[in-house]
Amino acid sequence: MRIEADKTADETIITVEGDIDLYSSPELRTLVLKAVPKAATGVGVDLGGVTYMDSSGVATLVEGLRSAKEHDKAFTLIAPSTAVMKVLELARLDSIFEVRPDQ
Amino acid sequence: MTERDTEVLRLEVSSDPRLLGVIRGVLQVWLELVGLAVDRRDEVVLAVDEACANCIRHAYDGRIDEPVELLLSASAEWLEISVSDQGTPCPAECAEYRPLMAPEPHELKPGGLGVKLIHQVFDEVRFCPGTTSGNCVTMRLHRTTKGGVESED
Repeated sequence: MRIEADKTADETIITVEGDIDLYSSPELRTLVLKAVPKAATGVGVDLGGVTYMDSSGVATLVEGLRSAKEHDKAFTLIAPSTAVMKVLELARLDSIFEVRPDQ
Repeated sequence: MTERDTEVLRLEVSSDPRLLGVIRGVLQVWLELVGLAVDRRDEVVLAVDEACANCIRHAYDGRIDEPVELLLSASAEWLEISVSDQGTPCPAECAEYRPLMAPEPHELKPGGLGVKLIHQVFDEVRFCPGTTSGNCVTMRLHRTTKGGVESED
């Protein structure tokens, strides 16, 4: 997994590429949970380059969403790949997240 | 459809999360070899990955040098995959089937999804926690359900 955060705009963008699994999701979790309270308006997680995501990745996104609600910030999934959408649909969580097609 | 010989693969890997990607890669190749429909391969890989992750997280509590064993077998009618460990047996309620429903936003919880996904993907799931140590989950997929019929070659 490769991960990058950009805080130059009001919305902090976190771009993730590769596989999000039990090994890599803790890094994403730390970054997302740090970014949410500090973001001006909210956090957008760009998942366009994600090739695989497991339930620990789903749990990370759910935690991000919960934290954003607590801090009254937005939390948006950007361009989620087919791999991401498939697992969110299987988990019946696809309608919980706000999704937009590009940054 | 003609009966084919059962195609078996046995794998033993260490409980190191870095090896999960290797297991997923091997699984993809094996599922292609046994001819499972392309649109079903990714969800089978996901469910088996979840079973292995459970061994690492729960049975071995994150220890990375313990054995996880996978036994994969396939015939024309079904595909059976079992994942076993020699760690702490899971409590019986962990293995219970609970249907997946879309949660209300206030009910959102980050954990506990892995077992639900396994049930969601496979037709039959049997958890056998040992009495003193070890767990085994056997997952079975009928290849003629959910559009899983594929071309014979």
